[in-house]
Amino acid sequence: MPKIKFDGRTIAAFSAGLFLAVAWYTLSGAVLSGWSAEVFPVIGAVIIAALMSAFAVRKPATAIQHIGDVSLAQQLRLLKTHTMVNVVDTQNLLVEVNDLLLEATGYSRDELIGQPVSKLYANDGTSFADQIRAKLCSKEGWQGETLLRRRDGTICITQTTVTPLLDSDGKWIGSISARTDITKTVELIAERDIGLTLHELRDDVWIVDEKTETLKYMNRAAKNRFGWTPTSYTDITLTQMAQEHDCKAILDACAALKANKETFIKLEAHIFGTKFDVSTKWLHPNTPNGRFLIMLNDISDRMAEERKQADFISMVSHELRSPLTSIKGAMGLLLSRAAGELSPKAEGLLEIAHRNADRLVLIINDILDMEKISSGRLDFDIKEFDVSEMVNEAVRSNSAMQQRSGMNIRCVGVDAPHIVETDPNRIIQVLINLLSNATKFSKPGDTVEVMIEQLASGVRVSVRDEGSGIPEKDQHKLFQRFADMTNSDRVAKGGTGLGLSICKAIVESLGGTIGFESREGEGATFMFTLPTRISDKVQEPVRPMLRSVG
Amino acid sequence: MIKLLHVEDDADIREIAKMALELSGEFEVVQCDCGEAALERVADFAPDVLLLDMMMPGMTGRQTLERMRENPALADVPAIFMTARAQNSELDELRSIGATEVISKPFDPMSLADQIKAAIS
Repeated sequence: MPKIKFDGRTIAAFSAGLFLAVAWYTLSGAVLSGWSAEVFPVIGAVIIAALMSAFAVRKPATAIQHIGDVSLAQQLRLLKTHTMVNVVDTQNLLVEVNDLLLEATGYSRDELIGQPVSKLYANDGTSFADQIRAKLCSKEGWQGETLLRRRDGTICITQTTVTPLLDSDGKWIGSISARTDITKTVELIAERDIGLTLHELRDDVWIVDEKTETLKYMNRAAKNRFGWTPTSYTDITLTQMAQEHDCKAILDACAALKANKETFIKLEAHIFGTKFDVSTKWLHPNTPNGRFLIMLNDISDRMAEERKQADFISMVSHELRSPLTSIKGAMGLLLSRAAGELSPKAEGLLEIAHRNADRLVLIINDILDMEKISSGRLDFDIKEFDVSEMVNEAVRSNSAMQQRSGMNIRCVGVDAPHIVETDPNRIIQVLINLLSNATKFSKPGDTVEVMIEQLASGVRVSVRDEGSGIPEKDQHKLFQRFADMTNSDRVAKGGTGLGLSICKAIVESLGGTIGFESREGEGATFMFTLPTRISDKVQEPVRPMLRSVG
Repeated sequence: MIKLLHVEDDADIREIAKMALELSGEFEVVQCDCGEAALERVADFAPDVLLLDMMMPGMTGRQTLERMRENPALADVPAIFMTARAQNSELDELRSIGATEVISKPFDPMSLADQIKAAIS
């Protein structure tokens, strides 16, 4: 059924039809008589109405009934003015380009004719052109997006149709490409997508005018926080927000950016009754388009999770250490003859048990330390302290193990004080670990040398042993967690494989560096540096970075 | 003799600590298994030093010390905490509430007496 369009022409045709049908019915009814006076007026009126309706819905005649009526020349003219066109031969060399393509790419005709079409393509143009050529060889067309590189290096995105050109014998002689520049469309879609993404972000996003400090944009999460409609935030100032909604930290962050001429600030703030990570970025500073981009990430859940983990560590720490206290304590008392004399065999067995209880304590400590480091909760107690004292303390702690192994320790540079700002207990932990490793890998009679050297901006401590050295194939993984796990000596030497990675995390968190030198068969030297003042090296609050270690 | 009040919920650790301290011959040790019991015992015993476990069911070592400090007679008695928790922030907190020393568990029974004497000297 054709759709009837009720324009003036249609209404006039229907009106005329109705008038003629009524006139016929009246006149013929008056002239005729008998049965014909009953039938002909009705039939006639129906026929007249039907004819006029048909006239009303009939399409008007136009000059062009079919696309074939438009001349090929006219079609080509349109194509040339609307579309970039190029023709290539079978070798993919350009033989013709239209003005629009030259205008869009910035090349002259001479720069393109005779050149491979891949010259126009961005990225791996040759491979891309070959892919299209393969389709055309088999006389198939190709459609898709192509990235053209303009003469000035910028990119033009085009929607392209490539058709093979065949001669009268059906032989492929080249191809013709028609391209429409869709760069702006793609950019608009990308902008829209970014806008939508921003709008749907879980974090609150605010955009504030730099000069007037009024809100220009809030995403859905930000508006929902206040129950606002899409426009109800418009032109509210940051000062008003700070006064009415407990978010002075944001106002202060923007003021700090301006005052310090910085472009980015990140801080933790308690606003809207909860804890947020606030990131404030100053876009286009000191221009008419100057804006503050403010992102608020609610970290209350994360903090609750961290609290739970801290509680768990504390609980595990307590639950494991308490029975160990009894085990170690009882064996220590027995070994000190608190319960009377021991036979040599009983004493030997007790010593084995006591030594392994010590190992268990070290393993638990390492695992708990590793957990704390991984979650960034290894805390430090920074004070000025003498490195020589730390070395002496570590040597004293290692003395029992040293005596058992029959090796010697020589300390160099410990006579003079070397004061640094650090966490002495943690550095002693590092030293004990390095000394313990050196002792484990020393033979009876070997000497382990601990040396302190004063540097211009800190100290360097090295621990050198005369052991078997570290095979070159294992050196790259030495500071990784569980690096020692594949070492067949591990069980015999009693390591967890965590010690060196913990040392690295501690030293680096305290602003120092750690490393080693070793050749197989010639022992190993582990050394670390510490800055004189930790604040010179560590800008942020001391925070371990072990995630990058392992 | 140094009069020491030891508050510790773990019976094994109590026994080891008592044996270690009495072995030195310099301590008179009274022990309680919880903070509440310690509060009842402390006035009669009049200790020279308190040795408190940190984590105990019921009153913690910290709460026990805070209650004892309410008594002027106990306000200046040195308090040593024993803890299996080794975070620096927690140790600082213990010192801030009047801990003279913090001994980490597991402790060495043979040096316990010396550690306590050094802390109160």
